[in-house]
Parts: sequence; C-alpha cells; structure tokens
Amino acid sequence: MSIITLNTRSLPDSAVTTAKIAADAVTDAKIADDVVGTEHLTANEVDTTALGADAVTAAQIADDAISEEHLDATVITGMTELAAEPADTDEFLISDAGTLKRIDYSHIKGGGITGADQWRINGDVQYGTGNQVIDSQWERVDSPTDYGVIGSAMTESSGIFTFPTTGIWLIQHQQSVFRSNGEIQRHDCRILTTTNNSTYVLASQAHVQTDDTNYRTSGFMSFIFDVTDTSTHKVQFGYADASNNNPTLVGSSNEHFTASFFIRLADT
Amino acid sequence: MTELEYFKLALASLHQGGWYTWKTHDADGNKIAPIDRMAYANIVVTKEGVSKPTEAEVNAKIQELKDAETTRANKKASGKQKLKDLGLDDDEIKALIGA
Repeated sequence: MSIITLNTRSLPDSAVTTAKIAADAVTDAKIADDVVGTEHLTANEVDTTALGADAVTAAQIADDAISEEHLDATVITGMTELAAEPADTDEFLISDAGTLKRIDYSHIKGGGITGADQWRINGDVQYGTGNQVIDSQWERVDSPTDYGVIGSAMTESSGIFTFPTTGIWLIQHQQSVFRSNGEIQRHDCRILTTTNNSTYVLASQAHVQTDDTNYRTSGFMSFIFDVTDTSTHKVQFGYADASNNNPTLVGSSNEHFTASFFIRLADT
Repeated sequence: MTELEYFKLALASLHQGGWYTWKTHDADGNKIAPIDRMAYANIVVTKEGVSKPTEAEVNAKIQELKDAETTRANKKASGKQKLKDLGLDDDEIKALIGA
C-alpha cells in the first residue's frame, strides 16, 4: 500500500468541495479580511450578538426609520435637567402638520400668569368732595392667611400705581362707600390711566348710589391696560362725588373693602 | 354697626384725607395680626401737620356718631308715628319713606 502525499500544487483548481470540509472546520483565521459580503448572509442572520457596542453609526440608519417604538423614556429622563426657564433661543422639537421642525422657546413661551398683586386702603378715609384720587392709606395685601400674589409687586406713591413690568394687565377695583349724611347721593367710582405719566383719563367707571344716611354701597370696575412702558403707563383710582357730600371710603387692614387688583395677562 | 366700624369711621371723620396707617410690627419686630392692628395704640399718623388725636377724642367722636344714629332712628320712629296719627297706614308710610 502506498501513501500519496497531496499538496496544493497537486490539487486542481476548485477541487475541494464542501463535502471535503468538516463541519465548523473553517475558522476565522481561514477567512480573508473583507471578503464576506452581504450575499453570504441569509436574511435576519445578523443578531445583536454579532454587533459590537456602538457599532451602528448614524450612517447605518435609514432616513425616517426611527419611529416611536424605538424611543425609550430615557430619551428625556436620561438627559441633564435644565432647572430654569429656557433661553429664548433654546429649541424644542415639534411636528408641524407631520413634518418635524425645531422651534425657539421665544415662540411658545407665555400663556401663564406671571404677575398678580392686591392692594387696599387700610382704614376708612374721607378724601373730600368733588373729583378725588385715592392718594393715601394704600397697603399691599398681607392677610388673611393664604392670600396670593405672583411675581414682583406693584409700587404705589401718592395713589399712583406703577407696574413692575410691561404687558397686558387686567386692572380691577372695588370701592366701598359709606354715607354718614344726606339722602340719595350719586357716587362715581373710577379707574384712571395715563400713557404719558401726566394726563389721566377715565378708563372705567361704576355709578353707585346711597339711598339714605348711613347707607353703604360698592362699585366694581375692570380695565385691561396695554402697558408698553412702565415709566409712562400708570394707573390711579378715585371717584366723583357728584353730590358734594364728602363720602367715606371704607377700608380695612384685615380684609378688602376698597381694593385694587392687578393681573398680568400676557406680553404687550 | 360694629365697634370696629364705629372706630374706623371716627378716624375718618376726625381729619380730611388719608392721615393715618397702622403699626404692623411690635417693638420686638413681631408682626401684629391685621385684625388686631386696627386699634388706637397702633395708629401712626402719616400726614404732615396732623397730630394723633387722644384716645378720649376718638372715643368722643365714636359716641357722637352713635348718638347721631340713635337720634336719627328716634326721629324716624317719631315721624312715622306722626304720619300714622294723621291717618296713614303702614303701606302708605312705606310708599312715602321706604321704611
């Protein structure tokens, strides 16, 4: 019996068939670099164990391919928190009729109430007859418990109220009137505004009447004021005592009788 | 009217215009509850040229206001009685004076 020794020169081309190769005989070392193409992979053959960490780059992901099922909540919760109001140029992702776009915070901010304040006169006062401005005894609310204000305070000097910021402000005023003499008396409660820090005009009025001595009555008014400049746009409160009978405006340091309210609704 | 209402009305009647405010904190810096600060001891005069009235002056003004109200109520009652004596019934009197 003779032994035939084979070497690669003895084998004709294409002589080694798959039947001559044992199962699992071809190791990684027997495969040349960069030769396994997609034609050698069957469908769904590549699983996650075949991929290294961070192996899939953006270039390997098709456009518009990542849908909601592939997003986890950590897309948000895993990010560093911005613990303050965003800057105007900070951006959000938005679907504009189905098309994803970015939008600056400046376009979507607002909508919440950012300013609200309450003031009242803290005791009964007779400001005089005729046209009068409530020019004294104002106090900012400090009771009852759980009273609410938002943002910076209004400031008051001699009955002139200055807004802390520009904006569209809702102004409300209630006026409680007491007559200690006279019979039927007309009394016009008033909100007066200026846009030049000088000339005040009537912005809102409530006509009330006391029908007899020691009668009380109240008027309530509102006005929405576009405060474009806090140095020129101011507000006062007053009345016209048409009967020239020196009414008493009722006030208290414990609750509202004659009081004013300021609520910032939006940017100017 | 309550005693507090008479007290505040008396202060308003003593001087024209706003002339006072209330002490909001005591000598130790503690806040005085709003319902408690509206008392004679806590009056602080804010108007130039006005001096704080004495407590007796305030009480006298309160009494004056109370007396005026009593007098007015008495006059109303006597006036109604005189109308009745003239033969008017209650409905006619109410139509005339509203009470």
